[in-house]
Amino acid sequence: MAAVAVHQFAQCITCHAWSPDRSMVAFCPNNNEVHIYKLLEDKWEKVHVLQKHDQIVSGIDWSRRSNRIVTVSHDRNSYVWNQEGPEWVPTLVILRLNRAALCVQWSPKENKFAVGSGAKTVCICYYEQENNWWVSKLIRKKHDSSVTSVAWHPNNILLATTSTDGKCRVFSTFIKGVDTRESKSGSSSDSKFGEQIVQLDLSYSWAFGVKWSPSGNTLSYVGHNSMVYFVDDVGPSPLAQNVAFRNLPLRDVLFVSEKMVIGVGFDCNPMVFAADESGIWSFVRFLGEKKASSSSSKYGSQFSEAFGKLYGQSKHGLSNDTVEPSRAQGVVHENCINCIVPLTKEGFRTKRFSTSGLDGKVVIWDLENQDLSDHF
Amino acid sequence: MAGAEKFVEADNAEAIITRIEHKSRKIESLLKQNKPVEALKTALEGSPPMTRDERCKSANWIVVHRALMAIKDVDGMFSSLDPEYYDILMKYLYRGLSTGDRPTCDQCLRIHEKLTERAGLGCILRSLADTVNTV
Repeated sequence: MAAVAVHQFAQCITCHAWSPDRSMVAFCPNNNEVHIYKLLEDKWEKVHVLQKHDQIVSGIDWSRRSNRIVTVSHDRNSYVWNQEGPEWVPTLVILRLNRAALCVQWSPKENKFAVGSGAKTVCICYYEQENNWWVSKLIRKKHDSSVTSVAWHPNNILLATTSTDGKCRVFSTFIKGVDTRESKSGSSSDSKFGEQIVQLDLSYSWAFGVKWSPSGNTLSYVGHNSMVYFVDDVGPSPLAQNVAFRNLPLRDVLFVSEKMVIGVGFDCNPMVFAADESGIWSFVRFLGEKKASSSSSKYGSQFSEAFGKLYGQSKHGLSNDTVEPSRAQGVVHENCINCIVPLTKEGFRTKRFSTSGLDGKVVIWDLENQDLSDHF
Repeated sequence: MAGAEKFVEADNAEAIITRIEHKSRKIESLLKQNKPVEALKTALEGSPPMTRDERCKSANWIVVHRALMAIKDVDGMFSSLDPEYYDILMKYLYRGLSTGDRPTCDQCLRIHEKLTERAGLGCILRSLADTVNTV
């Protein structure tokens, strides 16, 4: 089994993030709070509740090196939380939005973060030493609809966004005084703030969940039409591939290596996509499936499962215990998965990751012994 | 969105209609030769017409409908219909269902069941989510 631990933390989780040492997890239980749980003597205990937002928290990111938490919410505000002694101290970041903030991510160098919003804008926030204040700079008039996801390129300058106008865009976020121009990194860092590098026009419906590969050479995002897109050579002449699959649409993706992507979404079961030697991407299999019952079409059972869900089969106790990871069909999540976060990395490869979804579970997955090594 | 700029203006509608008429004649001759699957493939070829002109869309639907209704053996049809036609076929099945005409709906539902078995729920999602290339 690929799922090594299942934690039922709440009835519904909108997003989650891990502390730098992975001993704590922060998540939003579908309200205006952020709960932080810590593993104490084999049990997950609630150690902090971050209360400052007025509405649902839609995005959390916990920076690896500086140990700061950034949260964004439908209340249009963002807070950066610093740990001072036992307390988490919030700093308000005024995003200057007139619609909900939807997603957030720290840049790789952790000196900036990006916020996607329902106001058709992206905010790039950075810290101003002299004013002791986080400043928000907006990329306006580029998106025709809500920005559903943001992803930083490893170079700390390029930012990819997906939007409900169906497009995926890449911007330069170069900020004078924050970023330094590197002569070797070529054309991408010569662009001004907010300049659009490329607009990818592949989807006919909402686009969600964008990520860069570890090297930054490949970009992947999903459409609400049960398609996933892979883009190489992001620039003036991008090379794009569409992969259509037979299941319900995805919500987010994660590169676990240059050649392998995990997709999560409405099918409640992570899907593995991989590129072969010639670079052609295809669907490999579900992760939560036993190897014997591979890709045989199971249309009937799919429907009865869905009906089971409709009729309230998924009444699962709020026990906050580790559930035995041996559910019969290997379907661990009982509702849409909307968040996927890497856990342990070895160089460019992610061996472990966690998912959370509308069923209130945080599930940890391990890719070891999954017969997927040819794709790594 | 994608391909929107490829849409031709209404001036070209006449050219599209002519092409559909030509397609219609080809389908009739294929049906006479008892090749219903070939006829359906021909009908789905070049669909949906790259236009917003409703006249063209209706004309093309009439042609596809003719080929759809000629299918007797649904399983046999799928054994020789390539997966690349699945998404566009699904769109026309929903158009057929929207007519409310009894024999058309019966036929569309029969094919819909088999198509969903083969192409999955993703195929339905792709046909419903695409609001640009409507049929």
